[in-house]
Amino acid sequence: MSRSRLLAKKIGWALVTVMVVLTFNFFLFRVLPGDPAKAGVKDPRLSAEAVEAARVRFGLDKPVLINLDEGPWYDSQYFRYVGSMAAGDLGESYAFKNRTVGELVGKALVNTVWLVLPAQLIAIAAGVALGLVAAWKRGTKLDVGALTFGLVTWSLPTFFLGILLLFFGSRWFGFPTAGRVTIGAEYTSIWDQIGDIVHHLFLPTLTFALVLLGEYLLIMRSSVVEVFSEDYILTAKAKGLSPGAIVRRHGFRNAMLPIVTLIALNLGFTVSGAIQVETVYSWPGLGKLTVDAVSTRDFPVLQGAFLLLAISVIGANLIAELVYLRLDPRVTEV
Amino acid sequence: MSEPVVNLTDVTRTFARSRSILDSVLRRQVAQVTAVDGISLEVHPGEVLALVGESGCGKTTTANLVMGLLPPTRGVVEVEGTDLASLDREELRQSRRRIQMVFQDPYESLNPRMTVQDIVSEPLRVHAATRDRGHERERVVEALEYSGLRPAERYLGMRPHELSGGMRQRVVIAAALVLEPAVLIADEPVSMLDVSIRAEVLNLLARLAHEKSIAVLMITHDLSTVAAYADRVAVMYLGRVVEMGPTLDVLRAPRHPYTRALLSVVPVPHPSRRRERIILTGETPDPSRIPTGCRFHPRCPVVEDRCLTNDPGLVTVGEHHQAACLLLNPA
Amino acid sequence: MSWYRRLWDHRLGRVGVLMLGFSLLVALAAPLLAPTDPYASVRVSIDDIYAPPDGARLLGTDDAGKDVLSSLIYGARVSLLVGFSAAAIALLIGGTVGLVAGYRGGRLGNGLMRITDFFLVVPDLALQIVIVAIIGQSLRNIILVIGALGWTTTARLVRSQTLTIRERKFVERARAVGAGDLTILMRHVLPQVLPLMLANTVLVISLAILSESTLAFIGLGDPTKISWGQMLNFAFSRGAVSAGAWWALIPPGLAIVWVVLGTTLVGNALEDMFNPRVGRHHLEPERHLRTRTDSPRPSAPDIALAIRHLVVTFEGDHGPLTAVEDVSFEVAKGESVGLVGESGCGKTTTMLAALRLLPPGGAIPSGEVEFDGLDLATLPEDRLRQARWTRLAMVFQGAMNALNPVRSVGDQIGEAIRTHFPERTKAEAMRRARELLELVGIGADRATEFPHQFSGGMRQRAMIALALACDPEVIVADEPTTALDVMIQAQVMDLLVDIRQQLGMAMVLITHDLAVVAESCDRVVVMYGGRVAEQGTVEEVYSHPAHPYTRLLLEAIPDMEQPGRSLISIPGSPPRLDELPPGCRFAPRCPEAMARCHRETPPMTVLGRRREASCFLLEEPARV
Repeated sequence: MSRSRLLAKKIGWALVTVMVVLTFNFFLFRVLPGDPAKAGVKDPRLSAEAVEAARVRFGLDKPVLINLDEGPWYDSQYFRYVGSMAAGDLGESYAFKNRTVGELVGKALVNTVWLVLPAQLIAIAAGVALGLVAAWKRGTKLDVGALTFGLVTWSLPTFFLGILLLFFGSRWFGFPTAGRVTIGAEYTSIWDQIGDIVHHLFLPTLTFALVLLGEYLLIMRSSVVEVFSEDYILTAKAKGLSPGAIVRRHGFRNAMLPIVTLIALNLGFTVSGAIQVETVYSWPGLGKLTVDAVSTRDFPVLQGAFLLLAISVIGANLIAELVYLRLDPRVTEV
Repeated sequence: MSEPVVNLTDVTRTFARSRSILDSVLRRQVAQVTAVDGISLEVHPGEVLALVGESGCGKTTTANLVMGLLPPTRGVVEVEGTDLASLDREELRQSRRRIQMVFQDPYESLNPRMTVQDIVSEPLRVHAATRDRGHERERVVEALEYSGLRPAERYLGMRPHELSGGMRQRVVIAAALVLEPAVLIADEPVSMLDVSIRAEVLNLLARLAHEKSIAVLMITHDLSTVAAYADRVAVMYLGRVVEMGPTLDVLRAPRHPYTRALLSVVPVPHPSRRRERIILTGETPDPSRIPTGCRFHPRCPVVEDRCLTNDPGLVTVGEHHQAACLLLNPA
Repeated sequence: MSWYRRLWDHRLGRVGVLMLGFSLLVALAAPLLAPTDPYASVRVSIDDIYAPPDGARLLGTDDAGKDVLSSLIYGARVSLLVGFSAAAIALLIGGTVGLVAGYRGGRLGNGLMRITDFFLVVPDLALQIVIVAIIGQSLRNIILVIGALGWTTTARLVRSQTLTIRERKFVERARAVGAGDLTILMRHVLPQVLPLMLANTVLVISLAILSESTLAFIGLGDPTKISWGQMLNFAFSRGAVSAGAWWALIPPGLAIVWVVLGTTLVGNALEDMFNPRVGRHHLEPERHLRTRTDSPRPSAPDIALAIRHLVVTFEGDHGPLTAVEDVSFEVAKGESVGLVGESGCGKTTTMLAALRLLPPGGAIPSGEVEFDGLDLATLPEDRLRQARWTRLAMVFQGAMNALNPVRSVGDQIGEAIRTHFPERTKAEAMRRARELLELVGIGADRATEFPHQFSGGMRQRAMIALALACDPEVIVADEPTTALDVMIQAQVMDLLVDIRQQLGMAMVLITHDLAVVAESCDRVVVMYGGRVAEQGTVEEVYSHPAHPYTRLLLEAIPDMEQPGRSLISIPGSPPRLDELPPGCRFAPRCPEAMARCHRETPPMTVLGRRREASCFLLEEPARV
């Protein structure tokens, strides 16, 4: 299969997955016990007219899948849903009156990115470097130490690490325990505000980075050991290349290939980690929004947050697959 | 010569890449590979026929066709007079009693978790061929001892990793002959064994043919082995039999240019003999792009113009000796 | 040995088993071990809330005034119950899906894999949260959700394992015997898949326990059941941090870590056992390098390479194993020497030792490899690197991975040039690479292609081109024709002979094929069991073999020019490194062995100029 065909096929599948997630999302909330309209309205004492008005407002009077009554066939709840999603209209929040889901989710996403991106970058850089060194110096104390570290962080639930760092960080180092900014603080300049945010961001980022680091280290190490035992490494050694040159020109790039895939597969874990870290540190990101929406039964927000999380992972996964395609000249089958 | 046990008549087998949904929608033609292109072969009881050729010549596909593992696209595959294509699934499965196979890799052919006894009795059980356990054990011991694993009792409880390569291959052969088949197909039976122990396995195969009147079809790329063990040899190139006949005749008087070239380059363990070697250029073309006319023409050292357009059939060049080359017929 | 015994022997596996066992014991014996019953409602006073540890309450109290230790002990029940039950569900679904997808393949298999891929892409915790939020927070629901969403990794693993097994020769053979699908699945496929499934299940258990504790912590656990995650949820959301109540926060977390770590150790140990991964690699630092201060005795001016009394050992389970013992031979300039023998004879090991390319664990305790006044066996690493490729180059078997698959062939040839001649530019090196490819018959335009685009014969030629890159004096070809068709074999051997004549290089040809040696070599060294059996010119050795092994070997190999000659085989098989016979290595198989041969190792008997063999029979005056 030609590589452009392969490209098209991968993008196609990503889109199909998004559609499936959308459909799943749609049906999930129709499974709810009770009348969605009432749930949206919240006040059980409201009159029947008000409930009916809410029903129309939320479009719940239309047929669910396909419109077989009067009007076009696509005038159903499902297609309206898909249509509005495509247009970016994610609905209105049940819990926060007069706030659209899109608005809430958008702001939360930005905060999550502030948390996740630096942590990922640190974890990838450190994990790759340490994994490489551990594999190279296989069997030495360094390697054993790295392996132990990786094993322990793997067994540690992310939220527990967060609790530990929060507990000791706030007591011994005076780090803040919640939120994005200090409540009621007044800033003299923009730098002050940024400084405050960074102060709040430190522990959550550290937590996240440590957890990811452990996993990347282990994965990189095993990938490197495998690469370093391949025949072409022996050929390079026989050619008279120094170990450093072999690692740079043969080992590293080949070891990175599976890393790219594994990082992609790990994106689901990133989301789960984000949810946990944000909950512990009350960081106002997409994870915390999701958890809060559960306790307030704010289903549109829950739906919207879930959708956004899923799409981000699918998108990031696709990018990773395309990068892999670029790096490995052997791939011909999807 | 007696009636052939295995009879292939003008057999062709093509493989097509599987069609995807997109192919069907766009009504696209899928690339075809003709692995075997109109071959006719016979194997008689009690003889060893060697099927010889390089990679891509179709010998493994031929073996699978004779086994009934693949149906022919065209032509007839007959074993003991029965057209394999006429059998339904269950009948085909039962036909395995009569057609057995020995594979190339003695290290992979045996399930590492089974004992020798399990392995050799499995065919008997699968085909419910014995009355009771006692009878089964008798047959297993008989097969093992015939294969040279004596006393059989010592080997029954062993597992494959306790056996050397040569012994493993003998277990495989014992499992193949325990059902008393009419046909035995040996696919490169010794290429993965050490040189000093190959003869014992090959001698066993030859005995099977001559003592038990089994028809042995031996697939190999090693012409030296053919010289030592085969009664008849068929040389294949890109899906066709280009020469076929009694081993001695083909070795001493090869008539097809490909056979001549092959024979000239096989190394012999005599330093003093420097032979005239015909080394062909290039490699065997991909079976999906078979040349027009005589398929050997791009590499043939004695090619003529007519070879580019005419596809030669087999002509008789000696007693039971045939070759497919246009140069055998004067222009 | 049964797998549980092997697990116990595995160091870390044993630790894991003990850790896990301890947790199970605690869970089972909870009512006996716990000081109080945390499910019972008690009246508490304000002082009882977040009370620090004391004599009666070893781990203090929680937000509701209950004894933390008791909750911790009872918490094991819920956490382990959820973990094991959810894993059972995941295993059932995943195992079935994987087996079906792997065995049947085709549309069904692909379809199942698409579904699996879908679940892998969607973030699992988010999905768990959403579903539990809708269907309700009971323990049963949580088990169902974790199980129903956790089957994907198992399915993937089982499928890929089933696919591999399905392709294995013994399955093919079973089908050829006539066994039906069900028999094959039950007798052949499943027993091979189960071990890995076991290892995977254990890891799934650890993931399930983590999932439960995470869900509970977030507030989606079953509030009526005490689990460690639930304890953390209550403590954290009810001010344990500000109260400084570390005893309510740390023990439950550590308990989770304990169980997960134990399970992971067991899972890793099982995986190690059933699917041993490569442990060591080529870039490990050399550990057993000998040094010497003197120089080796220089050899005659017409000798390019002299190997003298070389000994090579490997690290074995019970001490070092000797792979090569007292091997000596010389390679004259421009000469070609065939190094011949069967499996385990040490021919490849000898030449790898000459270039110091032994795998980790290999060492050269004694002997020397003399080249141009230097002893390659003891040369410091940096000087050795200079000698590699420029003096002595190796043509490896042209297997798929002998060249880096993600770099072009020309690039890799150019790399050899620029490593030893750094003053050359990239363009110059590439030009030379193209020349070399042309020389070996590949064609200069293919320099930019990748190894996987070359056929087997082409790859072998590329390896030859690579070996020539720095104009070495000696090339060592390791089984260059083994995997090739006879015509390609002839082409490659012809090429080697041609190049040698053009460039005047010496060659050491490592092979098991006596016939190839007869055709292309001047001299032959026959090895057996790690020692040299016999050496001399090919004429001498082939027409008058002095060693019984050589004699018998010549009678065992078929000769096309003598069709119908019956061949002998030598009973027994070549010795294994860990089972070397005490005396002459060949004695157990030798038809002429005397009592002495089983006790003592025969020395080399000189039979002529550069002609010798090691056999006691040669010392008898009656023998020639």
